[in-house]
Amino acid sequence: MTRLLSISTLRTCTLALTLTAFAAAQQEVTAYTNATILPGGKPAMSNATLVVSGGKVIAIGGSDLKVPDGAKVVDCNGKTITPGLIDASFQSGNTAQDLNEQSDEVTPHLRVLDSIDPEDPRFQRARNAGVTTVHVMPGTRNVIGGLGCVLKTHGTDPKEMVIKEDASMRIVMGAEPSMSNRAIRGGRVNSMYYRRPTSRMGVIWAVRRAFYDAKEALTKTQGAPGDAPPSPGTQVLTQVLQGKLTVVTTARSEQDLRTALRIADEFGYKTVIDEAQDAYMVADELAGKKAVVMLGSPSAEAVGGSASADGSAPRAGTVAVLAQKGVTFVITTGTNTAALPLINEAMFAVRNGLGPQQALDAITIEPAKLLGLSDRIGSLAPGKDADFVIWSQHPLDPAAVAESVLINGQSVSQLR
Amino acid sequence: MQILNQRRTTGALLLTALCATPIAAQDVLVQASKIVVAFGAGETKSTTLENSALLIRDGKIAFVGTDIPAEARRAARVIDYGTATISPGFVLAATTLGRDVDLGEGAIAFTPDLRTAEAFDPWLEQLEQLAPAGVTAFGLVPSARNVAGGIGAVGKPGKERGRLLAPEVFVGFSVSSAARNQERQPTSLMGAHQMLRESFTEARDGVKVGPDLAVLRQVMSGQRPAFFYADTFAEINAVLEIGASFNFAPVILGAGESDRVLKKLATRGAGVVLNTLNPKMRRAELELPAKLTKAGIPFCFAGRPELLRMSAALAVRYGLSRNTASAALTRTPSTFLGQQANVGALRSGCGADFVVYQGDFLDLGARHIATWVDGKLAHGTAPKRSSKKTRTINSAGGR
Repeated sequence: MTRLLSISTLRTCTLALTLTAFAAAQQEVTAYTNATILPGGKPAMSNATLVVSGGKVIAIGGSDLKVPDGAKVVDCNGKTITPGLIDASFQSGNTAQDLNEQSDEVTPHLRVLDSIDPEDPRFQRARNAGVTTVHVMPGTRNVIGGLGCVLKTHGTDPKEMVIKEDASMRIVMGAEPSMSNRAIRGGRVNSMYYRRPTSRMGVIWAVRRAFYDAKEALTKTQGAPGDAPPSPGTQVLTQVLQGKLTVVTTARSEQDLRTALRIADEFGYKTVIDEAQDAYMVADELAGKKAVVMLGSPSAEAVGGSASADGSAPRAGTVAVLAQKGVTFVITTGTNTAALPLINEAMFAVRNGLGPQQALDAITIEPAKLLGLSDRIGSLAPGKDADFVIWSQHPLDPAAVAESVLINGQSVSQLR
Repeated sequence: MQILNQRRTTGALLLTALCATPIAAQDVLVQASKIVVAFGAGETKSTTLENSALLIRDGKIAFVGTDIPAEARRAARVIDYGTATISPGFVLAATTLGRDVDLGEGAIAFTPDLRTAEAFDPWLEQLEQLAPAGVTAFGLVPSARNVAGGIGAVGKPGKERGRLLAPEVFVGFSVSSAARNQERQPTSLMGAHQMLRESFTEARDGVKVGPDLAVLRQVMSGQRPAFFYADTFAEINAVLEIGASFNFAPVILGAGESDRVLKKLATRGAGVVLNTLNPKMRRAELELPAKLTKAGIPFCFAGRPELLRMSAALAVRYGLSRNTASAALTRTPSTFLGQQANVGALRSGCGADFVVYQGDFLDLGARHIATWVDGKLAHGTAPKRSSKKTRTINSAGGR
């Protein structure tokens, strides 16, 4: 009987959701009732109702919330609703070649948005697993790779998916930007790999040199308005120096983490640390500087045995250490090719000592704040985008399935 | 003596009356039971004449059908194709004639001011393949390996050697994978996109000068068509973004994934040059011509010349109208190249470039009888007929 009931509920659900797609366009109102709602950044609400219209949340409340007259009602009895998940470090399916402009090691002005394909299967995979917004950055082959952007995971044109162009600028520490580069020692320069830098020191030198030029440009522009404008790359760096653009520094090992913080101090900008595998070693410094950390695939150590990359020594308990020390962090899938779906990364974080509320916040409201978009996404409150997921049960349960994923109130994936 | 002089004068006057300009060679009157003056595309009807003729003078179409003056008709050498059909010669919108090496400057990726005309060899072997395939004009495009390859020319094959019709016509660009070279800038699509964005911005703002930026300004002012190699969604999208930002409508070469951007292509007024089709292709690729046309996007084919006719026939097999398919081999590419007044139709003033088939060339069984370029037989046969026995031609012509 229960089974029968659940199937019929599901059918109703599916039908209603299909109708929602058309309804939203006509500004119709839909109410999702009887659900457990985890609104993001706030405690869970049971027997709650979520009211959506015109692609936005218009009301959220307990059983006492009155469903507006004429609203379509979707009974979500037994289901859990969360905000759409946000992956703050997401790798799009472009080939490594297309994520890295390797003709120069410092390309701050290149936009990853220019190479986005909406039919990239990774968007679909993320969407099916409840991820509604992603932050995509250029690859990790360049010292300064370029500009990242924030996209919803559904659409046919990158322009309609993007909710923040030029959201961040990526700097990469460590061995990747210097990997297999060769120095020119006489002979013909006939390969791209004859390029700087060839060492870890060289990587930092390239960052320092770029910011030094930007600083120069900044004083020059201020001094003489008639001067020719600085190069597009330098213009981006000056925005960083003026605090107008978020820097994301990819740094995995302890030494790179420390360097990332030191360089940021040296030039007076704030940086988010990405892929911070060794963050547990420098938790106090991170907390002291109020640096936000993106933790790429915390499951990796637990699942793959070791996710040691670039000299780092990841620990499954990093998340718990960061939480305990009061470091703000978000959970991402990052550059790890063996990363699990984002919700399962959060699940592993809980297994390794993080509170469930914190784990969910680390994939919803925290990344929204980090990306400067918490007024639109990351939590369910009146006026925010109607991006949410209807889960079969509590999303941190290993058996949980994202039964319906909605972006701007429209269903974008239905598994069953 | 005076009488003799008078006669001479009369003779000279008569000659002047017969042809406004002194003729270097005898006019040629080409007759056939059906002459397609121009194929219409979409709603436009084709202009067709029944039992009519063309008068060729100095390599160009001088008069068509009933417009041919009686004197000119009498004086002309007559070629009679009997029951065959004459239609405009095919135009190959873009080809490197197999000379990619000469048509791509490898050292630098951005060379909009180079001229493909300067790498054109009129004796090139590949030119010999054009007339047998019915091709009478081609766009000589820079190779796909440079983000801005250079200025393309329009040329024609001939019986012995080819020639250039116009040396500087369009500008060839590329954001396809061929333009992304791991050994020089750019190595990535975002690098190529940025390169175009920066260069067009420089050209628009006018802070810098130089021959390369001058060429980009000609693109932005609509003086020169812009051809872009782009195949995937992201590549086509990049080209459309650049076109929208700098106010020009691009022609996209390749465009394999254009079915994903139909609406955008249509609103931006872009044209598409598809690779030639073959029967082994996936159904989606074979249906692309019909889809493009339905969305209101003009398209034509480029690739191996001998596959042009089959491509059009396959497009018809997969839903395209015969009219549009024929236009895709003639009128549409000549429009892309901005050469409507010269090639792609048999109107007065156009080059005398035409093909003769026994039937409709879209029927692959129709025999190819001849290809004429610049009023000369470039391939096939030209059955002569005594000028005195010129048969009566339906003076009404026909439309």
